[in-house]
Amino acid sequence: MSYVSVEGLSKAFGQNQVFSDIGFTIEQGEFITLLGPSGCGKSTLLRSIAGLNPVDSSSLTVAGQEITHLAPQKREIGMVFQSYALFPNMSVSDNIAFGLKMKSVPAEEMARKVSRIIELVELKGKEDCYPHQLSGGQCQRVALARALVVEPRILLLDEPLSALDAKIRKNLRIQIRAIQKELNLTTIFVTHDQEEAMLMSDRIFLMHGGRIVQSGTPESIYTQPANAFVAGFMGHYNILDKDSAAELFGLNGTQSIAIRPEAIYIQEPGRAYSEHMTQPTPAIIKDHQLLGNVIRYKAMIGQQEITLDALNRSAGHLIPVGSSVGLLFDRQEFQPVSLSVSTPA
Amino acid sequence: MQNANLLYHKTVVYSIISLLALPIAATLIYSFSSRWGATILPDGFTLKWYGQLFSDIRFLEAFGRSLLVCITALLLALVLVIPLAFVVFYYYPGYDRLMNVLILLPFAVPPVVSSVGLLQFYADAPFPMLGTPWILIGTYFTIALPFIYRAIANNFMAINLKDLVDAAHLLGASTPKAFFHIILPNLKKGVLASMFLSFSFLLGEFVFANILVGTRYETLQVYLYNMRQTSGHFTSALVMTYFFFIFICTWLGSRISKSNAL
Ligand SMILES: Nc1ncnc2c1ncn2[C@@H]1O[C@H](COP(=O)(O)OP(=O)(O)OP(=O)(O)O)[C@@H](O)[C@H]1O
Ligand SMILES: [Mg+2]
Repeated sequence: MSYVSVEGLSKAFGQNQVFSDIGFTIEQGEFITLLGPSGCGKSTLLRSIAGLNPVDSSSLTVAGQEITHLAPQKREIGMVFQSYALFPNMSVSDNIAFGLKMKSVPAEEMARKVSRIIELVELKGKEDCYPHQLSGGQCQRVALARALVVEPRILLLDEPLSALDAKIRKNLRIQIRAIQKELNLTTIFVTHDQEEAMLMSDRIFLMHGGRIVQSGTPESIYTQPANAFVAGFMGHYNILDKDSAAELFGLNGTQSIAIRPEAIYIQEPGRAYSEHMTQPTPAIIKDHQLLGNVIRYKAMIGQQEITLDALNRSAGHLIPVGSSVGLLFDRQEFQPVSLSVSTPA
Repeated sequence: MQNANLLYHKTVVYSIISLLALPIAATLIYSFSSRWGATILPDGFTLKWYGQLFSDIRFLEAFGRSLLVCITALLLALVLVIPLAFVVFYYYPGYDRLMNVLILLPFAVPPVVSSVGLLQFYADAPFPMLGTPWILIGTYFTIALPFIYRAIANNFMAINLKDLVDAAHLLGASTPKAFFHIILPNLKKGVLASMFLSFSFLLGEFVFANILVGTRYETLQVYLYNMRQTSGHFTSALVMTYFFFIFICTWLGSRISKSNAL
């Protein structure tokens, strides 16, 4: 029996069916990322699990206990909100202690727990500050500490990093993951950033159009996208419909294929390629973008646009726009995908 | 070019301000002057009129009554509006627009007209209300509603009410506990600002005060009106005191609503 199990979860706001018949299971201590584009219902799903909005139908169990009809106060679920939702009238330590106070934890034990968690999230020295005196990253850590200190059975994080700048984001990602591992917390983390999802998760649930379209480890989702939407969302996959695939590579499958941009190479004279590679296909470079250590080219094969990534070895390597090149595709990386997005996970 | 333009704007603004301030300044000087007859400048200055005013027991009583009526009406409005606004914003955010319309209704009818209606309505009350402060408190309460509702509503919007209450719920707080621990302390700003602003508004209201209770329960407004036959110096002192008081309340109100400190 899994630690968390969700079955038949549906939610509509009036005519707007946000999601329907969502089901999944999570093991204890797993770090799950709920990934999906903006507006696909991630926050609504989290709030439904927490009991903050009524759902139309579902069965929710945590550690063998049915919690479907339990009030949010009784679910022992911690949540960090997209807006942090720190109590503006309380200092950092009072914010963190609030949950313990509501449970009438004795003062001495409360002080001990609060100071331990403050150390864990590295906020020592900020105990008496008020939320408006803190930076975004510090607010985030207070919100995390406040949710953690009551030792919830599940921790829900709703895009906790989306309002922070890139550097703090990177640090906090690592910090959150380390704390989660240390406490062996069952966690659902919401994001619409696929890189974040890949980096942090044990498993990713990819949400789209009111359902979970694919779930699995970051590797399996990235390398074996179930459909064109997943392929497009997880990487900058090239999708070739079955006619183009037949024309270019002589494939006669019944499905479209997806190819990752890093599995396509620009032919370099005098270099030998493995036998997995296709013959060079003539193409014209249309555009290039410098992404740091990678150069992203857009090339045209006839009317078909192809995106490919090459390592940025030196500035002299940049191929000018308009050049004719030969493209080699790694046959092993051809992923048959369906163009429809309704394929179940 | 820029400077000339600025100078022009400044001249216009300051001229208008001086023009508007002139009657107030004249009243102020008049209230301090011992006699100001056919001369350009007063004969001498004195605090006599203020002394007379503040030793007039009728003035002090009227002032006290005004304070009592206004403060009671405002407290009543707060006690009603805060829980109401909480319910609207937490459970039915779509109803805010309806509330805005409802709450402005008392202003749709001119005071002279609605006071007649109020008089007729309360004439049938089970206990006598006409001429008592109660009818005035009831009326002022409705006048204060829009000011207070708007201020509290803005305050709720500023604090992200829904997430705060949800966070408190998940940490084990019941809705009343969340309300008293988290929502009320964060309403200080809205409450104080709206109290001061509506207070200065109510203190200057004359029509209802005069028609509904008049001399039977003489408030500051009615007292001022009744004293119009006495010495001009004396009424000037009265007007200035009144003006000063309203000015302070308005200033405090707008200062609080602008500051971020609370
Ligand atoms: N209280 C509500 N009333 C009506 N519709 C709502 C409400 N909350 C959310 N919705 C609708 O539900 C859908 C999903 O919203 P949700 O906030 O869950 O998206 P999300 O995936 O969290 O997006 P984001 O990444 O932008 O946070 C949206 O179409 C939204 O308009
Ligand atoms: Mg969201």
